Amino acid sequence: MTQDIKIRVANLNFSYRDRTVLQDVTVSFAGNAITALTGSSGVGKSTFLMTLNRLWENVSNAQMKGTVEIKLQHRFRDIYAPDLSVTELRKMVAMVFQVPNPLPMSIRKNVAFPLKLSGERNRGFVGAKVEHALKMANLWDEVRDRLNDDARTLSGGQQQRLCIARALVLEPEVLLLDEPTSSLDQASTAVIEELLIGLKDRLTILIVSHHPEQVIRIADRVVEFADGTIVSAPRT
Amino acid sequence: MKLRTLERLTVLFSWAAGLLLLSAVTLLLGYLFVKGYESVNLALIFGEAAPLRAILLQERVFNGLFPAIVGTLSLVILSIVWAIPIGMATGIYLAEYAEPRAKRVLDAFFDVLAGIPSIVIGLFGFSFAVFLHKHYSDRIGPCLLISSIALSFLVLPYIIRTTQAALEGIPRDIRLTALALGATKLQNIFLVLIPKSLAGIMSGIILAIGRCAEDTAVIMLTGAVASTGLPRSVFSQYEALPFYIYYISSQYADPAELMQGYGASIILLLLCAILFSVAYGIRKGLTHFAFYRP
Repeated sequence: MTQDIKIRVANLNFSYRDRTVLQDVTVSFAGNAITALTGSSGVGKSTFLMTLNRLWENVSNAQMKGTVEIKLQHRFRDIYAPDLSVTELRKMVAMVFQVPNPLPMSIRKNVAFPLKLSGERNRGFVGAKVEHALKMANLWDEVRDRLNDDARTLSGGQQQRLCIARALVLEPEVLLLDEPTSSLDQASTAVIEELLIGLKDRLTILIVSHHPEQVIRIADRVVEFADGTIVSAPRT
Repeated sequence: MKLRTLERLTVLFSWAAGLLLLSAVTLLLGYLFVKGYESVNLALIFGEAAPLRAILLQERVFNGLFPAIVGTLSLVILSIVWAIPIGMATGIYLAEYAEPRAKRVLDAFFDVLAGIPSIVIGLFGFSFAVFLHKHYSDRIGPCLLISSIALSFLVLPYIIRTTQAALEGIPRDIRLTALALGATKLQNIFLVLIPKSLAGIMSGIILAIGRCAEDTAVIMLTGAVASTGLPRSVFSQYEALPFYIYYISSQYADPAELMQGYGASIILLLLCAILFSVAYGIRKGLTHFAFYRP
């Protein structure tokens, strides 16, 4: 397993409505590994994730300073540089939220949605990609006969795996997960943890988690946040 | 103890208010149907003309409501055609793009627009028609087109406000979902946010349809007349059900004529019910088209 640096963050400061959320954060993340971001609620872990795909820019009254570089297509790119469009970035740095958020459409359309956004029209290609993503998310066998059903009819754990499949369909290089199992039962959590361990050979995973047992089970590295800054991180 | 009594009183008052409203609506509709159901028949709509021939425009209806029904339908459709794109676009701008200061100014502006009495909007429409008549063409005067433009002004605030509220009410997670998957802001609006808020937007459109169908003050100044037959074009005067109801109830010569007014009211209500059903069907169809088409 290679452990090259995948993400470099330097002097990151973030404020929301004049309140400092992140202060002078400097950290690196290894590629092809699961890094858990831990710390108590409100210390800036989720906000930190949103600085890695620029999603915070869709939140009003927020400000950010600092540099974030991610190795994309084999070279480090400043993700805030004008030559990298935010939509392209988000296709390579995918995100899964805390609460499963399938769009109110069929299972197939949910997973195919990012492809539609990219302008992909070839039905055969889209179908193959959807199947591949669902297989990667360990969901294919459960939904192959009901792809046209409303995605909201799936169980909570299945919905979250569907969201992971949807994030994987464009084959991102980085997967950001914001407490993806916090609303799920033990069995669903175990399925997703197994899925993430299986995915780390293909991509870099950053996961916000509040559960020490989960961190021990799945994380290769742990970065701990407190009061908007990092208090402990492994050397990369 | 005091809090408990207050809580009970609140529940009681809420129930009483709901029941009062339900009773009032039942009383109103019941009165209307009891008074008018006997006069609702094909003769009320088509007069002495053969219904099929009248519908196929092969025979003119002289003393029936058919021209007023067609006039009302044309008016509602035309007004909604103007109001929906402008209202929705404005609502989208206010919810998704407007800076706080612009939003405050526009909010105040649309509140004022919502508060303008319909007779004033009718007067504006009439002045507009006179202006066009004087400066552009003798052939332009109060007509279906002017009425529909004036009515669309009247109902714009409903569509703007419901579009804005429906979009702003979408939870943050849904709002960010498509963006996190690489959607542009425009893609997010058209592929996720609007389909997701169609139910809310449609309720504004349904309100607007109802208002267009019932308003009398605007149309009596901008083109509706008591008797002219079917509207020949958007530049012609027309008959409309609410104007007919107003006219007949203020000028009736005998009780039988007044009964026709009640009959026309029932037909207007049925027409609104049909338009609401169509709007509801379109919403369901659009949602299915946007989200569930395989």
